[in-house]
Amino acid sequence: MKHWKTLAAAAVVSSFGAAALAESIYVPNLSYRTGPFAATGIPLMNGQRDYFEMLNARDGGIGGVMIDFEECETGYSTEKGVECYEKTKGNAVVTQPWSTGITLQVLPKSNVDQIPILANGYGFSPMADGRTFQWAFNAPAGYWDAASMLITHLDGLDGGLSGKKVAFLHLDHPYGKEPIPLYEKLASEKGFEFLPIPVGLKEMQNQSAQWLQIRRERPDYVVMWGWGAMNAGAITEAVKTKFDMSKFYGVWWSGHDADLDLVGADGAGYKSISWSFPNPDAGVMADIKTHVVDTGKTLSNPDEMAGVFYGRGVVMSMILAEAIAGAQAEFDTGVVTPDQVRWGLENLNLTEERLAELGMEGMVPPFSTSCADHTGHSGAWILEWDGEKFAKASDLLQADVDGYSELLAASAKEYAEANAPWPVNESCDAMN
Amino acid sequence: MLNDIFIAPFADMIAAPDFLLQVLWEGLVSGILYALIALGLVLIFRSSRIFNFAQGIMVVFAALTLVGLYQMGLPAWVSVAATLAVMFALAWSIERVVLRPLVGQPDIILFMATIGITLFLIGFGEIIFGGETKQMITAELGIPTGSITLEPWGGLLILEEKDITIVIVAGLLVAGLLAFLGKTRMGRAIRALGDDHQAAMSVGISLQTIWVLVWFIAGMIALVTGVAWGARAGVSFALEVIAYKALPVLMLGGLESISGAIIGGLMIGMLEKLFEIYWGQPLLGGNTETWFAFVLALIVLLFRPQGLFGEKIIERV
Repeated sequence: MKHWKTLAAAAVVSSFGAAALAESIYVPNLSYRTGPFAATGIPLMNGQRDYFEMLNARDGGIGGVMIDFEECETGYSTEKGVECYEKTKGNAVVTQPWSTGITLQVLPKSNVDQIPILANGYGFSPMADGRTFQWAFNAPAGYWDAASMLITHLDGLDGGLSGKKVAFLHLDHPYGKEPIPLYEKLASEKGFEFLPIPVGLKEMQNQSAQWLQIRRERPDYVVMWGWGAMNAGAITEAVKTKFDMSKFYGVWWSGHDADLDLVGADGAGYKSISWSFPNPDAGVMADIKTHVVDTGKTLSNPDEMAGVFYGRGVVMSMILAEAIAGAQAEFDTGVVTPDQVRWGLENLNLTEERLAELGMEGMVPPFSTSCADHTGHSGAWILEWDGEKFAKASDLLQADVDGYSELLAASAKEYAEANAPWPVNESCDAMN
Repeated sequence: MLNDIFIAPFADMIAAPDFLLQVLWEGLVSGILYALIALGLVLIFRSSRIFNFAQGIMVVFAALTLVGLYQMGLPAWVSVAATLAVMFALAWSIERVVLRPLVGQPDIILFMATIGITLFLIGFGEIIFGGETKQMITAELGIPTGSITLEPWGGLLILEEKDITIVIVAGLLVAGLLAFLGKTRMGRAIRALGDDHQAAMSVGISLQTIWVLVWFIAGMIALVTGVAWGARAGVSFALEVIAYKALPVLMLGGLESISGAIIGGLMIGMLEKLFEIYWGQPLLGGNTETWFAFVLALIVLLFRPQGLFGEKIIERV
């Protein structure tokens, strides 16, 4: 019944909104609320949606222009994602592909369609090279940042990583394979054995073979790049096989409260690296409650809103809203164009002070982007599951960006050559 | 290379027999769950010649209904009874709304109709229950959640109590089903319909009643399968993809054989696990479970097109 009511409310709100938004900024989101990955997608999409709902209700949009935020359902299917991109690109000022697979498909189109791609914390890590990927952004941190930070963190524990073994449990999908080149590089540099363990889409909920391999190989650490049902499958198998949870780490997409709720206290000690952290006491959350929850516009619920993923969704929309606001100020306009939003994404400057003004204290580290740096490399925290919730378990970590910059430049160059003719933003050279 | 293929795997098995036992146990549990899904498919195919593409989503739907009813405040076992009532209503609706108007249509039309049922149940289920992963009410149903640790040959063997329960319940379910089909009037009617529709109807067997009954039994099996899988890693729509693992089971065991579904499921569950652990991971980088069962089934089909236990169809012109 609850879902009927929320869906009906959403339909009424969106139909009313469509009529009312005569002059608006169209922000599509290639979301997935259905299918095997819905469980992890829904709280993120709810956070994204509620932030724009809040801006529309509280401020009348951004710079006085309402945000026409619309979701197109992909089910995390790359094919459907491309269809959604084509369907929504007409009036879009940005596209949010929401899967590394979809991002890789849309990436070559970005130079032609000239619509910025915003893939917060996902996508193809070399997109950090703004000179090569002038239309693509993965702020505030990319997968290679995550890999670098995790390995640096593990190298600082128990005598370092030299001579040890790190198992990499990953979804057998472009997303899961994305950081492997950097892990292999780091393994040779630091002298640890890197053991990739793929999990097929059909095996996400039956990972006994993968965890038997982990039992046989006895890795010192398991690092997970999981998503959707894979996270819950891995965590329950880890508990079942009595794996030491304090040696089990996940990327930021493998740190969903609901996945850990399945094992509760048995999962205590599991850690996930994260560039966002929920802060229920933050000003932005109070505004969302006042303008979205109390007016019946949210699709979320209090438990979900207190979790890591909902908060991250809010942060994602804030980053986009800041880019739009920056573009409005720079070009002295209300209704911005995709090119102007691209400028906004390239000139983000989220300082501690600005985050405090936005009511987002502690929810995301400060970061800034530039013509050459489309990631921002905000750094991240290690979050640890205490049996009931995630808590910060480290100071802010920073990726060794210089350490992988050559590999990143080579990958960007290789991509550009493979997709030639590929335009490069020469103006970045002049700025740097 | 030859050593890696023909010697090393067996040496590993001998060197760590406790680990081999663990692999076989995990394969057995997976195999039983594959067999249960295949069983639902076989029952419907035997009685109606319909390949029920919706069996996977029925597993998800049954499990979500159970958890949803429990969350509404019903006691656990009352939720089970209510879920069975829902599955009966679903079976009746499918027969009345989808199948009855299509009687006499080519098999492919009926197959397409089950794809339609799948899409409907996905959308309907997501509207009613949402897409979030739900926690199966394992403990509330009295299913033990601990584990038994054994030390065979000084090694380690971990048996989850819920897996043991799954094996026992699945065994009882299959035994009960075989007894029902073999010893009761209704069971014989189902088998008669499977053998010859026209002849069965001519002696007064109601096609509609049997179809409702068979779809309801498939729904019951779906509920047991959903509880079993859900107890392992939560209940979500991702469970649906596991149903695809029943396809090679049917190719191996034959579409019409109940014993084929069971033996095929167990064979695939254990062989794919053995292959993955001793050959797939060391030699092929792992994740061979995605394709191994299909390759195995195709090899069997090369020699026995009707599957290991299927009946050879001879059409005389």
